[in-house]
Amino acid sequence: METDLLIIGGGPAGLNAAYEAASHGIETLVIEESFSMGGQLRQQTQVLDKLPKQFEKQRGTTLARTLIEKLSTLNVKVLLKHTMIGTYQDGRIGVSNGVKTIPITAKRIIVTTGAAEEASVFPGWTLPGVMTIGAAQILMNREYVQPGKNALVLGSNTFSLEIVKQFKEMGVTVRGIIESNSELISKHEKIIKSIKKDGIPLYLNSYIENATGVGEVQKVTLNHNGITEEMNIDLVCIGKGVAPILEPFEIMNCSFTYQIRLGGWVPQYSISMETSSPSAYIAGNAAGITSMGGILLTGQLAAVSVAESLGFLNEKLATEKRASLWKELHCIETTADLREVFNARMALIKDYHEEANLLPSSLFDLSLEEC
Amino acid sequence: MDPFIHPIFGKSIKKEVPFYFNGELLKAREGQTVAAALMANGIKKLGVSRKLQQSRGLFCANGRCCSCFVSVNELDHVLSCMTLVEKGMKVDSNNGDPNVRGEKNGD
Ligand code: FES
Repeated sequence: METDLLIIGGGPAGLNAAYEAASHGIETLVIEESFSMGGQLRQQTQVLDKLPKQFEKQRGTTLARTLIEKLSTLNVKVLLKHTMIGTYQDGRIGVSNGVKTIPITAKRIIVTTGAAEEASVFPGWTLPGVMTIGAAQILMNREYVQPGKNALVLGSNTFSLEIVKQFKEMGVTVRGIIESNSELISKHEKIIKSIKKDGIPLYLNSYIENATGVGEVQKVTLNHNGITEEMNIDLVCIGKGVAPILEPFEIMNCSFTYQIRLGGWVPQYSISMETSSPSAYIAGNAAGITSMGGILLTGQLAAVSVAESLGFLNEKLATEKRASLWKELHCIETTADLREVFNARMALIKDYHEEANLLPSSLFDLSLEEC
Repeated sequence: MDPFIHPIFGKSIKKEVPFYFNGELLKAREGQTVAAALMANGIKKLGVSRKLQQSRGLFCANGRCCSCFVSVNELDHVLSCMTLVEKGMKVDSNNGDPNVRGEKNGD
């Protein structure tokens, strides 16, 4: 199979990149390992604000539909249930549909594999009934299944707390939020207040000693401040945050750097979102964990650069477009409490430009005043 | 199977789909994954781990952790969280090393 542009991952970054690229007339192929497009948006019932200006405030589930519909009249082909599993020596990408491996020849690639949740290991963590907090969200909002009745949530980031709020509406009793630190990870005052008002027990300086049960989790032993307590629990949700998914970049021999604010190891990339592997671009959470605004904008940025490099957009126009997108990204990330994320992203790009002898960019000096 | 009422989307009005798990006839809702359909039937243990034979179920629901393997229509090693249930589908627990080189398991 041949295409101008191959996009790996049909989540928000990939879909927005596909829209931008195909709008310039680029023949675009999206591969997605799931049975439907939209990525994590498919289970996000939260209302997303701080989106790029062309999007109204909307629920994640609605945004997924919006992005998919925008592609309907464009030259975009989608292969669902297809996963990148390797590359050939000549640079073709090997994609599997579970039965066959299909080589794909693409002039450019944008990798938008997103992020995966981190696990947390304690004795019994592999028992059925122990799952990530994101898995519980998928069960509720995509599958209409109650994940359990009596839950413990391990980890207190904002996402975990949002799901705790939703648990109540779903008839799941949260018996406690367990945090190993001496304060909550989330700094989202409104949601913390409402959790406290609901009387959900917060166990700081605490951890799970073990989870036990026959065939599934039934009991959990909690240790808070050195005191142990046994609880009857049928659902343990691990909310330890997410980290970029890196396998495709490893396969393509991209160089990496460590930026804790971006989720740990991340591929290096330039101000054009190009990685160290020729013709391979990056966008979305794979390029560093951020908000939906950042995910969508980096997708667009990568597509603009691809359009330029394939001659669909001249240098002047591409540079202007990139500058306006970077400015918008800067404003969104810095006002959405993500200033550190933006700064870490810029530090990564600057370092990479220096290391790889790329030209410095005037965009390194974006100022808040322009927001 | 519990009728499940979602606070935002309301009641699921999707059609019922019959399927089998380890030979037992169960009902799912159209559009559910195999893993979720089983959990809706109160089944959390989907199989056992290959080496230590410990219970395994859904963990990430996202195709990343490989904890939810089952056999689907005799194809071994299928991620149940990434597979939509279909009418009459025969789902079985994976209880050991799958025969991935078997004829039915692709090339
Ligand atoms: S539950 Fe993790 S891969 Fe299916």
